Amino acid sequence: MLETVKLTKSFKDKKVVDEINLYLHAGESVGLLGPNGAGKSTTISMIASLIRPTSGDVKLDGKSTIQNPSDLRKVLGVVPQEIALYEELSAYENLKFFGKAYRVERERLEVRIQEVLDMVGLKDRQKELIKTFSGGMKRRINIAAALLHNPRILILDEPTVGIDPQSRNHILETVRELNETHGTTVLYTSHYMEEVEQLCNRVYIMDHGKIIATGSKEELMSILSSEDTIGVQLSKRSEAFTDKIKTLPDVLQVEQTKEGLRILAKKNHNLLSNLVHAAEKEGIQIMNYQVEIPSLEDVFLHLTGKTLRD
Amino acid sequence: MYPVFYAQFLKDKRKPLLILLFIGLSILATLIFGNSAWGSKTSVPIFASGPNSEEIEQKWVKLLNKDSDTEYVISEEKTAREQVREGKRDVAILLMEKDYRLITASDMPNIQLVEHEVHKVFTEEAQLQAITGSADTAELREEIDRYLENPPLTVQTKSVNGGELTSHNMGTQLLFGFTLFIAMFTIGFKVNGINADKVSGVWNRLNLSPVSKTNMYSGHLLYSFFIGFFQMAVVFLIFDYMMNYEIGPLHIILTIAAVFTLSSVSLAMLVAGFTKTPEKFNMVYPSVIPLIPIISGVYVPPGVMDNPVFTFIADLFPLGYALEAMMDTALFGAGWSEIMLPVSLMLLIAVIYMGIGINLGERERC
Repeated sequence: MLETVKLTKSFKDKKVVDEINLYLHAGESVGLLGPNGAGKSTTISMIASLIRPTSGDVKLDGKSTIQNPSDLRKVLGVVPQEIALYEELSAYENLKFFGKAYRVERERLEVRIQEVLDMVGLKDRQKELIKTFSGGMKRRINIAAALLHNPRILILDEPTVGIDPQSRNHILETVRELNETHGTTVLYTSHYMEEVEQLCNRVYIMDHGKIIATGSKEELMSILSSEDTIGVQLSKRSEAFTDKIKTLPDVLQVEQTKEGLRILAKKNHNLLSNLVHAAEKEGIQIMNYQVEIPSLEDVFLHLTGKTLRD
Repeated sequence: MYPVFYAQFLKDKRKPLLILLFIGLSILATLIFGNSAWGSKTSVPIFASGPNSEEIEQKWVKLLNKDSDTEYVISEEKTAREQVREGKRDVAILLMEKDYRLITASDMPNIQLVEHEVHKVFTEEAQLQAITGSADTAELREEIDRYLENPPLTVQTKSVNGGELTSHNMGTQLLFGFTLFIAMFTIGFKVNGINADKVSGVWNRLNLSPVSKTNMYSGHLLYSFFIGFFQMAVVFLIFDYMMNYEIGPLHIILTIAAVFTLSSVSLAMLVAGFTKTPEKFNMVYPSVIPLIPIISGVYVPPGVMDNPVFTFIADLFPLGYALEAMMDTALFGAGWSEIMLPVSLMLLIAVIYMGIGINLGERERC
């Protein structure tokens, strides 16, 4: 349905997005994961025809959209990362404004405004000014504004940044409903791994402007089939101990957590005994040792050597 | 275009304070500064020192106050110097038998006017003394006055179109000046809505809708024009109908105001194009705009602002042209043909600045 072919964007000789190929089938929910600065927003802006790519193409149903993006824009809804609303107007007035801009017919617009407000759970607050809303409520109206013209494809750029858990759940439920009930194709970018795990059938992982891995959740997990993620709870923190663990055989990554350490290591039956031995030498007690079920976060750590929120 | 225009209107409808404040400011500034510049005489303290100071003061105070718009008042030396030092007076004059000294702490245009006037009186007195060959010129003055009652030659002054020559009216000039100047602020803050929309993401959202970029710009710029013109029209109507100011034929004044609004919208668009963000605009625009009336000579009588660099810079802004056209209309009854040049120059400014401004605003936003 929608695909990018070697999509590239350079700013002053620096490639921000580097020959990205991705596709979205109709009705699919696809995640685009990456840390801050990975190039997700630039990719989305190019797909949405807001920025012209340096090279490459964006195709809708096999037709290029670079020269004439009007067909794409008709079927596309974009939820930007920023709150793209007029703070001085009410939720209803904002939706009416964007509905008119999208040329939704007058009679249909009234019905549609109530539908999208219902969808984001803010029907009873529609007369209130946006500036009086919480961050979460603003983000929900931000989504509602992108749904007014009933888009077939919805692109959401980090729609849950900095909001309360209740609004976050509501947003995730809304996106899931749009995808499952209404058949809307979703491209969801986030650096919250758990959201993507929850919502998306397929994931693209991006870093330094490139796609570094792609596949279903299970396919990506299989990358770690030969590795374990181990959570270790320690009696106290010690830099010397952390450095020592990094030097143990088969240890790939060590990350300090609130309780102790998170270790990514090749499957190795001697790791526990090596750990205990090192802890004894440093005078540290191991309170808990747990081999964790790998998550996409672990896949990301494995692929990039850093966590998503680095 | 209509949804963009209407959204801006809704925002102002909800918060009309800024517009009302600017209308009030235009009226207030004209009333305060206009009336003081118009009605009251400027007072200048004069003093002499030495044993015959009283005699010198009495001699010159009469001559200085004869046919003068400025009031010269005899004062204590200490008081006069203190008043200048504390900024209560711009200038004081130390009188001598045949000479004078200006005591001032600044270099304002009104000091030049006082200097000019005092110099003329002292030169005239010196000429009379040279004719009589003594310090007593009273008799010769009387003789000259008598002679001038029936002069051999009389000069009649008429305006270009044959009417009576009208004296310059600073009250009217300040009314036009303040109204145009304050409207520039209103217009600027409204045009800055484009930058605000670009930063907030509303612009991108509209970009994805069927609304074209031309319509997006038109909606914003037309609204800025509408609100700026509305503000000026309200002020002019109040002064014309409620305060009985002579502002000339309203239809011509409003036409000039409309063209000025258009070029001010373009000027604001140029600044918006350079600054790109509302915060930078709010920093640059209010810093630059207050300088325009100063260099355009809005606060001083015509001819005082004669520095070629300042005049050249002033020529790049529409305020001077609008003021010139409005003053010509109000004071000298100028018609369409007489105001054609300043109006055309304002239109030229509008076209050039708008083109550059939109181009700059669209860079890296393809």
